[in-house]
Amino acid sequence: MRRVAVIGVGVTKFGLHDRTSAELFADAAGDALTDAGIPASAVQALYYGNVVGGETEHQLHTGPQAASVLGIPSVPTTRFETACASSHAAFRHAVMEIGAGVSDVILVGGAERVLNVSTAESTEYFAYASDAVWEQPLGLTFPGVFALIARAHMEKYGTTEAQMAAVAVKNHRHGALNPKAQFQTQITIDQVLRSAYVADPLKLFDCCPFSDGGAAVVLASEEVARRHRKPVWVLASAAASDWMLLGDKRDLARVGPTDVDVVELHDCFTIAEIVATEGLGLFEPGAGGRAAETGRTSLGGEVPVNPSGGLKAKGHPIGATGAAQIAEIVTQLRGEAGPRQVDGARTGLTHTLGGNTATVLVSLFGRD
Amino acid sequence: MTEPVITARAFFERARAGQLTAVRCGSCGELAIPPKELCPACHARAWQPVPLVGEGTIASFTVIRVAPRAHAADAPYAIAVVKLQEGVSILGRIVDIPLDKVAVGLPVRFRPLGAQDQTSVGFGPLG
Repeated sequence: MRRVAVIGVGVTKFGLHDRTSAELFADAAGDALTDAGIPASAVQALYYGNVVGGETEHQLHTGPQAASVLGIPSVPTTRFETACASSHAAFRHAVMEIGAGVSDVILVGGAERVLNVSTAESTEYFAYASDAVWEQPLGLTFPGVFALIARAHMEKYGTTEAQMAAVAVKNHRHGALNPKAQFQTQITIDQVLRSAYVADPLKLFDCCPFSDGGAAVVLASEEVARRHRKPVWVLASAAASDWMLLGDKRDLARVGPTDVDVVELHDCFTIAEIVATEGLGLFEPGAGGRAAETGRTSLGGEVPVNPSGGLKAKGHPIGATGAAQIAEIVTQLRGEAGPRQVDGARTGLTHTLGGNTATVLVSLFGRD
Repeated sequence: MTEPVITARAFFERARAGQLTAVRCGSCGELAIPPKELCPACHARAWQPVPLVGEGTIASFTVIRVAPRAHAADAPYAIAVVKLQEGVSILGRIVDIPLDKVAVGLPVRFRPLGAQDQTSVGFGPLG
């Protein structure tokens, strides 16, 4: 495999937008190409994440449509759909294609628009990512899926609702430092604990919001990347189904959990962050709740998790999320994250879940 | 030729008649529910249907308060992962148990639920 680098990133503000998902993606992609200092004519492929375009925008075939709106209609384009992990899956395929020597420059991104429909509709559309025969007929929702995980974790390890609330408070504190975040206001443990139950034991403030937004990253081979500013190297990119452990994959990069300086992970619900910090090996199984509560995952702590504010505060436009997480880690490793910068970060990790954790992607990044 | 029990339709026909059914691998003995085409343990394609007792205990549960549109009239309702006597687990809707009595470890018994011509998996009190 050839070495692969990220040479450009772009992210729109997340939240309510009066633009199509393709326009949101194009906005982010334009910024990513400018950031890379590379002409659009250099792009050899576009890999694109979008999930509910068919439902919320009556738009399928969203890959080529997004390429057209961006202004690169003749570039070969494929849409990836692995629910909330879509653009991270797109990223992995671009890494493999450049690594294999097929292409030198690939644009990866994603976008979603859901705030143009009601919460009841978007709740239903997101539930389409669960099983239509065995889960949907029961009335299972995504908060419900993670509530089942939360209850099991509480029973097995004694994790508390206050510990889950600590994740929300921490990510809002980080989000307040991110001008692109949907929520830039701090909240308190008490506010989280007093918010209404959505799916017991998860409350409204344990849940990430519905969001519109777009994100893009430019990937390049080492030869191309060397000509550009501050390449951030892809050390590994791995995918699994029904499997949350970094485990064997760390050998790909010869990097272990203690080597990771900064993490962007999939906190669609507060319990998801707790479980992911354990699954990734940052903390022992059962220790994730206490780690959040004692500040070990805060900016300034031993391993800052979700300095961007995470899905919880930055927002979660599902097709864009994977690319946005990668954009944050690249920004951190370049040392350009401003007030939310993790000092001296050299190695970063992104982790994205799709559906009922049925898809998991993990990528590792390093700088020279 | 496909063994009928491995289709979802066959599973729900048996469920509608009150019988919860798993499949056991004729090659390695793995028990699976819901049914699958290949054994996830050994990848053999040699399933035999196994009627289950239909009793188990709640392994985890949630109370859905914000429901998809099709289920809004039912809310709030409980959904649980039930660990069956035979060792496998399945997701089901909890019925006829007050929401404040639903708890991890509570014994429950299978019952078919019918809604809009669609049978789904339910669990009610054991007694």
